[in-house]
Amino acid sequence: MTRWVMVVDLDRCVGCQTCTAACKQANATPPDVQWRRVLDMETGAYPDVRRTFVPVGCMHCDDPPCMSVCPSTATRKRADGIVTIDYDLCIGCGYCIVACPYQARYRTDRANFAYGGSNPNEAEAKCFDERRLGVATKCTFCVDRIDAGIEQGLTPGVDPEATPACVNSCIAGALHFGDIERAESKVSVLLAKNHHCRMHEELGTGPRIYYLQD
Amino acid sequence: MTAASTAGAKRVPTYCYQCVAGPDLFTVRVQDGVALAVDPDFCASAIHPGAGRICVKAYGLIQKTYNPHRILTPMKRTNPRKGRDQDPGFVPISWDEAFDIIAEKLNAIRAAGLLDDSGYPKVAASFGGGGTPQFYMGTFPAFLAAWGPIDMGFGSGQGVKCYHSEHLYGELWHRAFTVSPDTPSCRYVISLGSNTDASGGVAGVKRHADARARGLRRVQIEPHLSVTGACSAEWVPIRPKTDAAFLYALIHVLLHEQPRTRLDLAFLAERTASPYLVGAHGYYLRDPATRKPLIWDRQRNSAVSYDASGAAPALEGRFSAAAVEIGPDGERLAEGELVGETGFAKLVAHVAPYTPEWAATVCDVPAATIRRIANEFLAQASIGETVEIDGQTLPFRPVAITLGKTVNNGWGGYECCWARTVAVALVGALEVPGGTLGTTVRLNRPMSDRIGSVKPGGDGFMDYPFNPTDPAHWSPRPNIRNAYRTLVPIAANGPWSQALGPTHLAWMFLDGTPDGLPKVTFPELWFLYRTNPAISFWDTAALVDKMARFPFVVAFAYTHDESNHMADILLPECTDLEGLQLIRIGGTKYVEQFWEQEGFALRQPAVEPRGTARDFTDIATELARRTGLIEGYNAAINRGAAGVPLKTERYDFSLAPTIPHRRDEIWDAVCRAASAEVTEGAATDGLDWYKTHGFRTRPFPHSDWYLYPALERHGLRFELPYQERLYRIGQELGRRLHERGMTWWDNQLSEYQALPAWKNFPALWEKAVVQMGSKPEDFPFWLVTARSMQYAWGGNVGIQLIHEVAANIAGHGGVIINAGVAARLDIADGDLVEIRTPRRSTRGRAVLRQGIRPDTLLMIGQFDHWATPFARDLDVPSMNALVPLSLDLTDATGSGADLVRVGLKRLSGPS
Amino acid sequence: MEHIAPWLQTSWDRRAAGNFIGGGTGSGLAMIAAASALWSGNLQRPPLAVAALAIAAGLALVWLEIGRPWRFLHVFFHPQTSWMTREALLAPPLLLALAAAAWTGDGVATAFAALLALAFLYSQARILRAAQGIPAWREPAIVPLMLATGFADGAGAFLALAAADTFVLVVAIAAIIARWFAWTTYRRRLGRNGAPIGALAALTAIDAPVLLLGTVAPLVLLVAALVLPRLAVPLALAAGLLALGSGWLVKGVIVTRAAFNQGFALPHLPRRRTAGEESSAPKGG
Repeated sequence: MTRWVMVVDLDRCVGCQTCTAACKQANATPPDVQWRRVLDMETGAYPDVRRTFVPVGCMHCDDPPCMSVCPSTATRKRADGIVTIDYDLCIGCGYCIVACPYQARYRTDRANFAYGGSNPNEAEAKCFDERRLGVATKCTFCVDRIDAGIEQGLTPGVDPEATPACVNSCIAGALHFGDIERAESKVSVLLAKNHHCRMHEELGTGPRIYYLQD
Repeated sequence: MTAASTAGAKRVPTYCYQCVAGPDLFTVRVQDGVALAVDPDFCASAIHPGAGRICVKAYGLIQKTYNPHRILTPMKRTNPRKGRDQDPGFVPISWDEAFDIIAEKLNAIRAAGLLDDSGYPKVAASFGGGGTPQFYMGTFPAFLAAWGPIDMGFGSGQGVKCYHSEHLYGELWHRAFTVSPDTPSCRYVISLGSNTDASGGVAGVKRHADARARGLRRVQIEPHLSVTGACSAEWVPIRPKTDAAFLYALIHVLLHEQPRTRLDLAFLAERTASPYLVGAHGYYLRDPATRKPLIWDRQRNSAVSYDASGAAPALEGRFSAAAVEIGPDGERLAEGELVGETGFAKLVAHVAPYTPEWAATVCDVPAATIRRIANEFLAQASIGETVEIDGQTLPFRPVAITLGKTVNNGWGGYECCWARTVAVALVGALEVPGGTLGTTVRLNRPMSDRIGSVKPGGDGFMDYPFNPTDPAHWSPRPNIRNAYRTLVPIAANGPWSQALGPTHLAWMFLDGTPDGLPKVTFPELWFLYRTNPAISFWDTAALVDKMARFPFVVAFAYTHDESNHMADILLPECTDLEGLQLIRIGGTKYVEQFWEQEGFALRQPAVEPRGTARDFTDIATELARRTGLIEGYNAAINRGAAGVPLKTERYDFSLAPTIPHRRDEIWDAVCRAASAEVTEGAATDGLDWYKTHGFRTRPFPHSDWYLYPALERHGLRFELPYQERLYRIGQELGRRLHERGMTWWDNQLSEYQALPAWKNFPALWEKAVVQMGSKPEDFPFWLVTARSMQYAWGGNVGIQLIHEVAANIAGHGGVIINAGVAARLDIADGDLVEIRTPRRSTRGRAVLRQGIRPDTLLMIGQFDHWATPFARDLDVPSMNALVPLSLDLTDATGSGADLVRVGLKRLSGPS
Repeated sequence: MEHIAPWLQTSWDRRAAGNFIGGGTGSGLAMIAAASALWSGNLQRPPLAVAALAIAAGLALVWLEIGRPWRFLHVFFHPQTSWMTREALLAPPLLLALAAAAWTGDGVATAFAALLALAFLYSQARILRAAQGIPAWREPAIVPLMLATGFADGAGAFLALAAADTFVLVVAIAAIIARWFAWTTYRRRLGRNGAPIGALAALTAIDAPVLLLGTVAPLVLLVAALVLPRLAVPLALAAGLLALGSGWLVKGVIVTRAAFNQGFALPHLPRRRTAGEESSAPKGG
């Protein structure tokens, strides 16, 4: 069995948003839709303050609340753990958006581009996908890259061609991707060697983004 | 975008050099002639210190290319009146007409003489900071070289927005235009406001992340909790502009609270001027015959020249010796049996009053914290350890002190740089593995070879190209309007010196030249490229007013902006993904760019130019042709103005001198020369090879990251701690100025101290409030700024993607205020607030955070645009409108600090 | 705990609230009408028609909110786990049954409609309960609250629409009391479970109106109606409108103003190495 997961080394992340930008570009998301982004968290009171940068996105949960609520079965979970959305099935009811505890899902009703609303530039026009209007969208773990890469005999998380764009782009080496079921994968090794936690674990969703604590 | 949809895409290798922390290598995915995406260049992961990755800014390049607001055809102004309130009335014209108009102006200037009545160049040019525009302007430098004198001293932030004191004093002391820890092996970094994780680029972020994982501890000392502070082991909130006091106390702890034997005494005795004897007048005691400085040899029990072999120098003590003490202008101040004290002993006495308890009151940092950090620094220095690199055994001292902007420029910058360099020298951590390193040189030659720039000068120190201050050679007639050669000896006189002089003085003096200088004039023609001083400098309203009076401005324009609003001609050049250029990569460059390779990388057209945008090289060639300078232009390229000499003993790819050459022809020759240089003649591949492969490198020795071996080789010492030479130069400069009745630079002369004393630097900014006729208590906040990785350098304020992703980092949308203070002032998050000085005000949204001192406000960006499309709708404040251009706040290097005292009040609730 | 403060969801707006209001009122009304008929033997048909209209109007509002309205049939694809599919599957037979009952006055159709209405109301309650992203919705106590509110709304609507007998007055009193208990229980549990401050504040803001106008006032009026049969009709009408209005307010606020998400929080921070710790740095470069 394969189970794709992401591992975030919080001690490395500097909040630069390179992954945010790389994701936006790789997935051609419209303005203000950020399948991957990095939170700028602050806690404590002056002068005992901590500031931490936390990459978030779809957690590809083991028990995804978005999937169970979806009335159309557009949201599904693959055997490898990736939670997908079938844009041709989705009715855009937004139920999954409110069901997701990670604010990972978006719905854009009208074509919207960087400059001038409905007027795409050449690059945007080439990447525009009408099927994404009026439906739920979210991080796919760059599933197309993973599938195409595996077809070519590449290893996701190792070979850039088969690895999510955000992971490829991370300049701090904070993002890692791989198969948690393989003991020798980078993610498995990192999780075995470090304390880690997950977001809103108490909800029982089984999120598949792990945050290393040290 | 699906993988399938980009299946037919080709990948074009190129580079990003938008900021000084580059270059980084990447590829552009192009399909059907449209650039769709940028990706890291993983082919470069083994040679690039950032593993072939690019930062967030490069991801904006697709939008930058297709931005609908781009200027895509040459334009001329139709409204002769200039000003913010005037519509320039730009209308499209042909390239031919544009060249005609510019060439006519240039030829008329040439015919009448290149200098005006004041002796200033009639042609001026301003480029964006850090020299990065050079990596996009093709062969334009060859045109400038062929032209002759050009004033490049109208700054757009240089000197006041950079690490100015470090640039100048860093180059003097350790060839350190910028300073970095030896991050891969450093164990302890004291960072005074150095925002490396935002400003260090891909290499900096990666190196520090690796170092943290390895166990590097970084203590971040700064008024607000920056991105770098967030990623540090500890944040120490310090009162703005008191960093020198912190460092003085640190030195005090090392010298007065720890046994002397814990210091790196061998390093101090052999590699610094610590043992040099200083006479009663403050100058070195010198051998009467050779005039070499004297040291006290404990073995011979007598004074000997600093370079006497086998000497055992005394670090401390007062000694009597037959000597001469030479003062300014070669004056013999004393001669005979003179008593001298070692420079080190003078340092010990100098820092005696600067206890942690004293510093605590100045810095608002507990004395125990200062003491603890000093002792950790000492403990981590590992004095006595060595490491072998490239077969050489070198000292290993894994501690560093880094300084940020504002700490490092304006008053107090000298004191901070001096104290930092002295502190690391005390533990032997200067220019050795693990320690505090310089990165590159811009004032010393050759610029491409930092180690090669180490040449013996006088008194056992490295040579340094000071502008002369002796009566015979000091120049009372500045070559350009900011008068760097006249006023700032340490700015040297190389290609970079104009921009490293007091660049705001050029602006200030336009409306009032001080006594003794030739009247500062408006340049007859001004070139602008990749710069927007109307936004990025200070007192922007006054600057715009001056720009409006420049008679003829040629702007290489990406979009309409606040500076080219005053232009007469706009020229659209190929932007990042459209143009072509070969640059040097590798070795050691700014910030954290330490490579183990060196060579060349190509920027090439991934897509056809938009509109009628032209490649910068073709523009430069045409300008040269139309001004009759083609021979000089080609000759400059042949000499190496495009980055590589085209003719050496080993190869000859030089261009035929008398005819114009097309872009690809020129760069093919440059590529061939580069191939030959990198392979020592084995290969001569041209442009096509680089278009396919992107870059070519060869190994760069790791040991060349460190200056120590070169100093050891030459038998040289670091010019520390005592600053006899600077003291002398200051005295001489004062005499020269006073001889001509110039007293307005006297405050600046006070900076030339052999051992700089702490001055109440914060009070200078409070005094400025009083001088503006107001009470300091009405302006109780320090307004500071911080680096944004998303925005810094790139000129990306009009790029939607950058704006969108930067919004995820707190503060980009307004002014950061301490939440507790805001509560007292009844200011809620998102409220509209006014930030004011006695003269100007700006407004923005309150961003409440805990990670900022209660007495400090922070504005990250410089965003008060009123002309740049997209940016003019952002409605975000900038401190640049508030900071005055002031001679009183200008230090001796001609720099000021990004700092101003302000008041704050709530205007209305959230929008 | 490191966190990013919760913010208000904007995905479901007043149109979604309208479905819970219309659906709750309609299904409650259907059940009350059926119960009243069972008790009195006298089926009042207009309330059944109004119930159908209310439910249909609520569904129409949702239809207006979805991004791909012409794919509405896809809503039926996931009865295995989706309460939205279940709600949608119940809607056609419910509406048909109500229409049939209203048209024919048939007792079986009425009873069938009431059963379907109960299931429909329960589905709506579970829709909110399953929305894990919104603490004010996923609270289990929202299910009894939604049910009680549906009953109270239905009773209120019935009082406003039809001549009320003692049975309905008593049922209305019971429903309003039940709703008050469900409301206070829900709010107490939300507070205890660390719901977002904004959500609690939005609910607190309507606590007084819900108590005074939505609970105390209608109860007083209903008791008065029982005691003063002469004035029963106007008193019941006023009580019904108050019960109905406050129920709509509760749903409107829960679906819109109290719908804060959870924000982001991690139980642990990266362990920055503190000064004084032994460094594990390797030697040299």
